[in-house]
Amino acid sequence: MRAVRTVLVVWFLLVATLPLAWLALTSVKTYQDTISAHAKFVPWSGPLESNPSGADSVRFAATLDAYRNLSKPVAGTPNDFYHYLGNSIVIGVLSTLAAVCLGTICAYGFSRFRIPGSKDWLFFILSTRFLPPLAVVVPVLVMYRWFALENTHLGLVLLYTSFNLSLAVWLMKGFVDEIPRAFEEAALVDGYSVLHTFFRIIVPQASTGMAVTGVFCLISSWNEFGFAMTLNNYEAQTVPVYFAGLQGNIEGVPWPRIAAGMMIFVGPIVLFTVLVRRHLLRGVTFGTIKQ
Amino acid sequence: MKRNEFRVRPRAAPSSLIGAGFVAPALLLLVAMNLFPLIFNIYLSFTNADLSGGPVKMVGGHNYTVLFNEARYANALTVTGLFVLVSVSVELVLGFVLAMAMRDRVPGKAVILTVLLIPMMLCPVVLSLFWNLILNGNYGILNQLLALVHLPQPQWLTDDDLKLVSILFVDIWMWTPFMMLISLAGLNSIPSYIYEAAEIDRAGRWMVFRSITLPMCAPLLGLAVLLRATDALKQFDLVMAITGPNDASTQTLSARIYQVVFRDYKVGLGSAYGVVILVAVIAVATIFVRYIEMLGRRQGKAEA
Repeated sequence: MRAVRTVLVVWFLLVATLPLAWLALTSVKTYQDTISAHAKFVPWSGPLESNPSGADSVRFAATLDAYRNLSKPVAGTPNDFYHYLGNSIVIGVLSTLAAVCLGTICAYGFSRFRIPGSKDWLFFILSTRFLPPLAVVVPVLVMYRWFALENTHLGLVLLYTSFNLSLAVWLMKGFVDEIPRAFEEAALVDGYSVLHTFFRIIVPQASTGMAVTGVFCLISSWNEFGFAMTLNNYEAQTVPVYFAGLQGNIEGVPWPRIAAGMMIFVGPIVLFTVLVRRHLLRGVTFGTIKQ
Repeated sequence: MKRNEFRVRPRAAPSSLIGAGFVAPALLLLVAMNLFPLIFNIYLSFTNADLSGGPVKMVGGHNYTVLFNEARYANALTVTGLFVLVSVSVELVLGFVLAMAMRDRVPGKAVILTVLLIPMMLCPVVLSLFWNLILNGNYGILNQLLALVHLPQPQWLTDDDLKLVSILFVDIWMWTPFMMLISLAGLNSIPSYIYEAAEIDRAGRWMVFRSITLPMCAPLLGLAVLLRATDALKQFDLVMAITGPNDASTQTLSARIYQVVFRDYKVGLGSAYGVVILVAVIAVATIFVRYIEMLGRRQGKAEA
């Protein structure tokens, strides 16, 4: 029984990590090595003469060229990778800040005040999370034409903020509910206004929760594809849309460069996942399960 | 509820008004960006609107007549249904088995858990684009590994019978750890005294699993299934990245909308498709919301 268990866990670990390891290897290969019919596993950096990197060898000459080339546009695209990365960062960071601020304020209201129909409102907020992007993309597109928001960073920021609100409100409500009310009551007795109390007492105590919520909002904006793809042909294209567009490249899919870009793109998210590992369960279930 | 409120001094504005001030900004944004487009979408589905912005005319139920008579509609419905059914059930079973394996003391458990959970946090489109390289029938690493052990090496990405399998595979690869995470929470919530009592009663292993472990995990498993099902219903990203939106053998409802609106420029018909997918999502989401309410009540009772 124990052996079965070990085999199972090791198998799943391999399946989960090997594709990512392959991504890392691909990013230090040359184009020819990425599409070789004899897979090359072992990066080799010695001089080429002592490196028998023939067609059948499992060794390949490791190179950082793919990373260097990221600052040059791929043939047929107007901008280099960093242009799209910049778009992803601007849109991700702004929408995350907005969602966390609005979400915290809203969660505080629901947590501490009597709001008529508060339960229904909260479930309305939760249900917005299930809205499929493709089902509302047409009206959003028409709306954005009215306000000239199409192809703009602000357009995506607004959308991502609203789509992250459900997560932000529900997660933050859980965190705010956990803050003891004694401090606020004392502050109010001391003559603090409600706003003052919120900023001086609640925000500092909820800061861990806000950081965790921020990470989850950032990840969902960072990874979003449906809206980014359909609302932007040019100006505010994010990295996922850029990579998707490279699939049909006439000179062959530039795999090493895509892999290098992907490494840079997913690296921060791996780091964030490790940072919020204790809160993952909460984050993926909208705070309905707390451990 | 009562103890959650403030006793605000009489001079201050009534508590509910201040509360409304706190919740209003978020709610307004949601109404503008989510609720309004949803209603607007229903209106558009009764018009002949196109993306060029020409004059819009009401056409009654014309778009729906077209939609329900399309072969592509039945096809998209089947593909989506199949995708939801297979992905969610395989992920559930595998995730639960994995959770059972991870349940007891495993050396380095925290590290293993974190590593397993990384793929589901990464960008689905980016990961599936890379899977294209792995699954490539001619030079992909998967087929090379299969050749090593003398197994058949099918064309994962171009064989009509296998395209959907490939997309399902990537989805299952990403999301099985999600089911594991929630299953583990369910398993951990079972108090050990119940197992001790079963041991005293000499209940068999299968008996313990069937009458203690499974039923006590069921509420959380239900939550996980509903969360995944609503996501799977909207499946778009993987289809776009792996086969593109037009391929009939993998065309989900969302991919069909993309084709209708952005390739055929039929906004009205696209909106009608949007309404169809909304009905499905709202149905599942309603069950989900009721379910959370029920779980909340249960938790409340358990704590009281």
